[in-house]
Amino acid sequence: MNTARKFIRLADRDNVATLLDDLAHLERLTDGMALRPGIPFGHKVAVADIAAGKPVLKYGVVIGHATQDIPAGEHVHVHNCT
Amino acid sequence: MHASDQDTFPGFRRSDGSVGVRNHLLVLSTVALTNRLAELVSRAAPGCLLIAPDFMRGLRGHDQLIQDRVLDGLVSHPNVGAVLVLAHDAATGNALRERYRNAGRPFDLLVFMDAHGMADAVEKGRAALVRLAKAIEGAPRTPAPLSSLVVALECGGSDASSALCANPVIGRFVDRHLAGGGTAIVSETAEFIGAEPIIRSRSATRFVTEQILERISRTEKMMQEDGEDYRGINPTPENIAAGLTTLIEKSMGAIAKTGHALFNGCLNFAEPPQGKGLHFMDTPFFSPVSMTGMACAGAHLVLFGMGVFNPSGNPLAPTIKVCGNPETVRRWADSLDLDASGILTADKTLDEMADRLRDVVVQVAGGSQSRAEDWREGQIIAPRSLPAL
Repeated sequence: MNTARKFIRLADRDNVATLLDDLAHLERLTDGMALRPGIPFGHKVAVADIAAGKPVLKYGVVIGHATQDIPAGEHVHVHNCT
Repeated sequence: MHASDQDTFPGFRRSDGSVGVRNHLLVLSTVALTNRLAELVSRAAPGCLLIAPDFMRGLRGHDQLIQDRVLDGLVSHPNVGAVLVLAHDAATGNALRERYRNAGRPFDLLVFMDAHGMADAVEKGRAALVRLAKAIEGAPRTPAPLSSLVVALECGGSDASSALCANPVIGRFVDRHLAGGGTAIVSETAEFIGAEPIIRSRSATRFVTEQILERISRTEKMMQEDGEDYRGINPTPENIAAGLTTLIEKSMGAIAKTGHALFNGCLNFAEPPQGKGLHFMDTPFFSPVSMTGMACAGAHLVLFGMGVFNPSGNPLAPTIKVCGNPETVRRWADSLDLDASGILTADKTLDEMADRLRDVVVQVAGGSQSRAEDWREGQIIAPRSLPAL
């Protein structure tokens, strides 16, 4: 029985991770970090606090910038990143 | 296995200093007119590799240049041990003989129109092929550094798993291969639209940045001329539903297979890289075409990341298929070389999977057939952009 969500951080410097399962009701990542429930498979979760205007890093590259403060564990997508 | 064993593979030494991972006896038809002859001749040597693309006459400008460069790349490819070139007429035959007499490997040329009928042409061709087969029979493999390998990076049938498993695993391997002094080529210019910031931050020189950006912009203009606004509609609503937030994030799904090294060069179609490191090649996105470009530039192997299955490969550069989609891995087990789905399903790390990819590369470079070779997948296709005369 899975009690935590699988994820991948594609580069060491990334501040987001990608969720690898559909267990959206769970509230922890396998490394113990708390996350907001409801984030779908393939979507991103912040693994560090990202201040408004700061770069969002995935694959070790800047894929966008935070449009508001994003706390660790929060869903990162078009509503808070562009 | 000791690190020193892993750093080498048994390869075929060529007189020009290059190393091959195969010792193909190549039967090459240089124009569609000799394709049937090539087919009949190739039956005299069951293990030979027949390459009979639909090479044309009447090509104009750049298209002729590309077709010639593809031909050069096939004859001088490091995986070719000996080659029988079929020409249609005496004039072309003489020109090709001049061009390839110093190809550095057993070589023969047959002029179709010199024959007295088809049976005679086939007879002459078969005799030449048997002589060439004898010339390379028992050629030894000797240890060669893994860093001598030029790997082509390809992806196709891409899905969400490609961006998370297959391509990042290939990228992790490529980082190590390049750090060890190896060479890699990535192509498919259209996939780089939207990834311009990556090119700006990852090119070795400003000149390389400008060259690559110019190729991307040219491809985007072609799309616009066809009424497509790639940048405007991407990421698509489907992409966004799947979790992709920005165009650059989408582009990275494919570009992840290049790892993190700097781009050392920008190549035209089938143009061999000068020097080691990572190179960008300007090619169309259709995988058999882009693989033709990279193989004819001298790539020894292709690392092909996929999500849903893609049945293409390259006939000359053994193609290693890496897949991270568990459903595809179940359905196409007989056609894939590395199951990377453990990243999704079994807590495998990119490093572990890159280790396994390296093992597969060493095995295939040393002579184990890749699945694409088992099935004889692959074709040589030279792209054309102008109407022929």
